[in-house]
Amino acid sequence: MSDRRLGWLLLAPALLLLGGLTVYPAIWVIWLSLQYRIPVFSISRWAGLAHYAFLAVDTRFWSAAGVTAAFAVASVALECGLGLGMALGLRGQRHGRRAAVALLLLAWALPSVVTAKMFEWLYHPAGGLVNFLLGGRPVNWLGDPALALPSLIAADVWRTTPFVALLCYARLLTIPAELYEAAEVDGAAGVQAFARITWPLVRPILLVALLFRTLDALRAFDLMFVLTGGGPAGTTETLTVYAYRALFQTLQVGFGSAIGVVVFALVMVVAVAYLRLIHRQEASA
Amino acid sequence: MAPRPARAAALVVLLVLLAAGCRERPVADGPVTLVFKHAKILGPADPVPGLLRRFEAEHPGVRVQSEALTWSSDEQHQFYVINLEGGSPPFDVMMLDVIWVPEFARAGWILDLTPFVPAAERDAHFASAIEPAVQAGRLWALPWFMNVGLLYYRTDLLAKYGLAPPRTYDELIRQVRLIQAGERDPRLDGYLWQGKQYEGGMVNVLEALWANGTRLLDETGRPFPEPERARESLAFLRGLIESGVSPGWVTAADEELSRRPFGDGRAIFLRSWPYALDLFELPDSRVRGRVGVAPLPGLPHGTVGAASTGGAHLAVSARSRHPALAVALVRFLTGEAAQRAMTEGAALRPSRPALYADPGLVARDPTLPALLPLIRAGHPRPVTPYYLMLSTTLQPEFSAVLVGRKSPARAIRDGAAQVEHLQQALAR
Amino acid sequence: MRTGRLRDALVLAALVLYATPFFWQALTSVRPDAELLPLSHLLPSRLTPVHYDAVLRQSVMPRALLNSLGIALSSTLLAVGLGALAGYALARLPVPGRGVILLGMIAATAFPQIATVSPLYLLMRAAGLRDTWLALILANASFALPLVIWLLAGFIREIPRALEEAAAVDGAGRLAALRFVVLPLVAPGMASAALLAFLFSWNEFLFAYSFTATEASRTVPVALALFPGVFEVPWGDIAAASLLASLPPILIVVAFQRYLVRGLLAGALRE
Repeated sequence: MSDRRLGWLLLAPALLLLGGLTVYPAIWVIWLSLQYRIPVFSISRWAGLAHYAFLAVDTRFWSAAGVTAAFAVASVALECGLGLGMALGLRGQRHGRRAAVALLLLAWALPSVVTAKMFEWLYHPAGGLVNFLLGGRPVNWLGDPALALPSLIAADVWRTTPFVALLCYARLLTIPAELYEAAEVDGAAGVQAFARITWPLVRPILLVALLFRTLDALRAFDLMFVLTGGGPAGTTETLTVYAYRALFQTLQVGFGSAIGVVVFALVMVVAVAYLRLIHRQEASA
Repeated sequence: MAPRPARAAALVVLLVLLAAGCRERPVADGPVTLVFKHAKILGPADPVPGLLRRFEAEHPGVRVQSEALTWSSDEQHQFYVINLEGGSPPFDVMMLDVIWVPEFARAGWILDLTPFVPAAERDAHFASAIEPAVQAGRLWALPWFMNVGLLYYRTDLLAKYGLAPPRTYDELIRQVRLIQAGERDPRLDGYLWQGKQYEGGMVNVLEALWANGTRLLDETGRPFPEPERARESLAFLRGLIESGVSPGWVTAADEELSRRPFGDGRAIFLRSWPYALDLFELPDSRVRGRVGVAPLPGLPHGTVGAASTGGAHLAVSARSRHPALAVALVRFLTGEAAQRAMTEGAALRPSRPALYADPGLVARDPTLPALLPLIRAGHPRPVTPYYLMLSTTLQPEFSAVLVGRKSPARAIRDGAAQVEHLQQALAR
Repeated sequence: MRTGRLRDALVLAALVLYATPFFWQALTSVRPDAELLPLSHLLPSRLTPVHYDAVLRQSVMPRALLNSLGIALSSTLLAVGLGALAGYALARLPVPGRGVILLGMIAATAFPQIATVSPLYLLMRAAGLRDTWLALILANASFALPLVIWLLAGFIREIPRALEEAAAVDGAGRLAALRFVVLPLVAPGMASAALLAFLFSWNEFLFAYSFTATEASRTVPVALALFPGVFEVPWGDIAAASLLASLPPILIVVAFQRYLVRGLLAGALRE
């Protein structure tokens, strides 16, 4: 059989699965968002852009969008900064490298629900370690509207920094030591060495990490849903949580799909923008 | 180095696991088996198993399999929705929160009980319990036990300062200030209630709306028909927290979180359901003998005792394979004898007014007769198939007011907009 | 090199501190109930197995662990099996539209689950697959597939064509070359992809929460999120359940670290 035919044959099963369970739903969700659809009551009729028109003036939607943006920006900025710092700290590691990476990756590998429950307990006003270490002050981390979002961000940063740290660490390992030795000879050390050697070489990988992490932060659901449920008073309700509540609590499949489509579009726009940025960086480098 | 043996072993493991996962539910053949799904009954003793054995004795050849639901009301609802939507649910008789009955009836999941239940039996229950179970003139469920919102107060503290239970919230606030000034106990809270973002929080808000003479929906379904009064009610609730009459944590409190401090003697007033009284009267309770119940106070434009009724109903699955027997079980469990057994054994109150004057029951629990007028004064939450959707849509708005993130006026405006959007979808 | 060792030890100590939340949860899982709330001492006066006992004997966790294991293994096998074939086709064979398909794969890795959960829910409902293993196996495999294909296509491309050409000279057809030359060489890459797919499926929450209703198919994250408590939250039991839920991830991070890291880096460094 020809190579072309074999190629299609080998590709077909995967394409079938993807087509049915990823591509088709991605198109279907747009169709659903244009309908009034409440399966429980057998309601199914055309709505046109009514859901989107409502979202445009819905304060809850804009609040959720704000929370999503704040969460993404703060989370990603902290992760990248901390991740780079960790990688720099790990760079000279000679003994116990495997143990170091294991400890690091542990936070990343745990199920998000486990992390959520872990932090819920850490933040507990009476039984939590955080308040204990603060001398027993009964701070209500997850119940105070001003503290809930920062607490959530802290949990997410803890969970995802290892990924960035690992990427940076791998890149740092490939920088030959001779470069630093040569710089020392030239009289540049410490911060200057970082600015002249490390940063230009690590920046591309950091940009890639930024891309991945931003996309993940925009799509994040598990942590905020289990840790705070979007509360208190919607201060941790991201677009994903709003969409989920609309879908499975109020059973409005059409309306919930509309919010899902907005998240979809947002993620795609950010992805394209980032990729363009990365390609331009590579072109100019 | 294709690890062939490893791959084969993996396949075998996989097949075994798949087989385990696809295990069929065991089908009981022989005697007819009715599956009864209900939440765990709290209280000193669980009367349900005994009642089920009695039913089995009266109906030879029938076995009743009792299955427990998860604890949280939202989860129970999700469980029912997923199973009932799918087609053939594996249960016959279900315990439903009263607010779900119109929804399940509208969705066609429960059996029409009208042909099986004579009018006399219907009328033997509280009107406010039967009302939510009636849709389009048909009866869809029978009340199993009854709840009503109550004002709990510390009889010893009020007596010490020569006070009678407050009839208005203004009075309540004044009494709290007086008692707190007199007692000089920084750990003594004033008024505890449920302000968390969940159905219980919605109940508290509804009661505040009714206390001010307004309601959530008017006859045409329009939300907040009297927005100014609704605004006052919400401002009042937020004011309780801002002024310190209620501690800040009530915005995260559910029934149990609010009951415990009161039961430890650390609060003057509590809004809760009748079950709490049984727990306060337990031998090791710190407030034993010092707790009284009264109707909920009123606000300027409303009346006293505008409490929410609640409770559970029993319904039959529309796809049950033994409808007649299932209905018989429902009528048995909601009958007088069974409700009497439940009131004796558990912290539950019957849905039959006659039992509140029953000598045997009153002897065990002298507060029963006092509850009767309180229940009659109470009203059910909005009776509509879309109540749950309504509630989950408005809960975040009300919660935002309680934690001080939104003004009551804004919350009402935003809430009304969301409800109207919802109603657009529901309009047929 | 003494300062080197000291520095290394300090870095390790810092990382242990970083993992404190996890170790604290482990401690909580063996702390007696009376000492949980309020917290008065860092270390418990004694250790107790009562939480693990409750979780293993009286909760749905054992069943959830079985469900998760079966679903994760199955979806991993499915994803890696289909992904290896597709990856080879995209890497080596002149499939028309190859570039577009690969681009589509990359785009598909960015799809938000919240967008596809509602159509998938309707799909599963229509197919009568709600509350079954199959629904989650298919959904998880499909979601992991783009990344797996992308990874494996990349790994296969790294294998020199000369090896396959040598096999062709020996008279082996494409499929035979795939089976006896390429797959053995890409096996470590497949292991990496499999580990990532397994971790994804084990940790997956949204689909599992939406498609399951009873313990017949409930996975570990869902069981943990819905952990019941009658009056109060049983923090000790939840901690024990969390530790059990973390066993496979821990195993992977400790025992299969090399493959895991390789997979993570390959996914990020190749764009």
